[in-house]
Amino acid sequence: MDQIYIDIVLSVLQALLLLAVAPLITGIIRKIKAYAQQRQGASILQPYRDIAKYFHKDSVVSRETSWIFSVTPYISMAAVLIAALIVPVFITRTLGFVGDLIVVVYLLGTVRFFTALAALDAGSAFGGMGSSREMMVSSIVEPTMLLSIFAMGLISGTTSLGSIASALSISGIDLVRPALFLASAAFLISTIAENARVPVDNPTTHLELTMIHEGMILEYSGKKLGLMELSSMTRLVLYFTILSNVFFPWGIANDLSVISLGVGLVAILGKVLFLALVIAIIESSISKLRLFRLPNLLTVSFTLALLAVMSFYIL
Amino acid sequence: MSDVLLTDVINGLAALILLFAFVMVAGARMHQIIRAYTLGSLALGLLAAAVAYYTQADHIYIVAILTIVLKVIVIPRFLDYTVDRIKVKKEVEPLVSIPGSLLICGALTFIAYYITSPIIAQGSVITKNCLAISLAVVLIGFFVIIARRKAMTEIVGLLMMENGLFLAAISLTYGMPMIVEIGIFFDVLVAAIIMGIFAFKINHTFETVDTTFMRRLRD
Repeated sequence: MDQIYIDIVLSVLQALLLLAVAPLITGIIRKIKAYAQQRQGASILQPYRDIAKYFHKDSVVSRETSWIFSVTPYISMAAVLIAALIVPVFITRTLGFVGDLIVVVYLLGTVRFFTALAALDAGSAFGGMGSSREMMVSSIVEPTMLLSIFAMGLISGTTSLGSIASALSISGIDLVRPALFLASAAFLISTIAENARVPVDNPTTHLELTMIHEGMILEYSGKKLGLMELSSMTRLVLYFTILSNVFFPWGIANDLSVISLGVGLVAILGKVLFLALVIAIIESSISKLRLFRLPNLLTVSFTLALLAVMSFYIL
Repeated sequence: MSDVLLTDVINGLAALILLFAFVMVAGARMHQIIRAYTLGSLALGLLAAAVAYYTQADHIYIVAILTIVLKVIVIPRFLDYTVDRIKVKKEVEPLVSIPGSLLICGALTFIAYYITSPIIAQGSVITKNCLAISLAVVLIGFFVIIARRKAMTEIVGLLMMENGLFLAAISLTYGMPMIVEIGIFFDVLVAAIIMGIFAFKINHTFETVDTTFMRRLRD
């Protein structure tokens, strides 16, 4: 019985850690991008201030909207947090008995579904456009994500994210296979696509030709906007955590000793910072793709994920 | 380095070669495709160096250096130069749409794995897993030659097939004799240059490098 309580406490701590560092990571990505463009850039703490500002303001909600519009920010925040409870962050022990990787993928799918519905609900032209584009992107990205994590599940013989991470981190370098490279490349592309980053989407623009994610949350204001922003920042860090702990879980703690917990904490922060650097470099060196070019990029990642799964059976 | 680790390094590099082959199929612009070819060739050169380390055969080191010099520096530069000289649109214009070709190339990779599985099951060399990838790269290169219109992409397809053949040679036999290797490298270089000059000539005569117009070729 004690075991379960410890697991619950650990999962809650890990989810809170993700929630706490999420705006910081976004701030760091913006800062690196600013340096790449020879600008000073805002402080890396700016996203915290933005969110605090949103939470101090009232929401303006159109009279034409239904309950879906009002409830979506809470659903999306809640779904991201539940997913964060299941994903291992600095220790492999999480609420594995609640759900596995399929639950995580579809919790994130729920976020997308409700965001698109809410965008349609407000009835503005941009919302409809944003949600149709989002659905087009996600129809290819969702199978890619599932397949690429499945490849890791096949290697370690389980679908629980915590067990995948511990199996890989214990057996060390022996489990590195070609599938790992293919699957992680596929997952990196789907991370970029799912989190509205360049070259799929530009998170800072408000031009109608380029908006996907921004188009969908255009109608939100005040506290609700703050929740949407916070949940999308947390979602980005959550994807980074999955990428670093499912594909390259070395350093993650497997027991409760202070040393391994410290190593796990340092390892995950280092890996997430590294991924933030990678994303910032990608964003400052590539321009946004035309919308009709997107299926090319996304099919690359789908094919890579498919090959990763198949190469497990054949090799 | 232990054998297991070395096998992992070799398999990982082979996977990178396959990955860049897919990037080449997905590329929509000539310069992108040439970059992917460069990176794939770099992985090939590193793989040859890893094989040389494993077999302690010094001549494979020379082959690895030659691969990197020729396929990472000389040929990509020449291709870039040719593309810039031809001054046509740099888009690729596939006959089969890019997502379609990617799926077809995925299927080709499965076929390659399936065909080579009996050989892989018998082999005892540590590089045996590369055989499937080399066959896949050859098939993908062949597909690129068939499914793209521009003469330039057909050159790239041929170079890709050659990379696949080189990978097959090095993974099954740990490299051919030195003289054969040098002959092949010279062949590839000359072939790339001659085809580049052909592309100039085709462009000069027909004002395009679109090979679908080549049926007008008469005496």
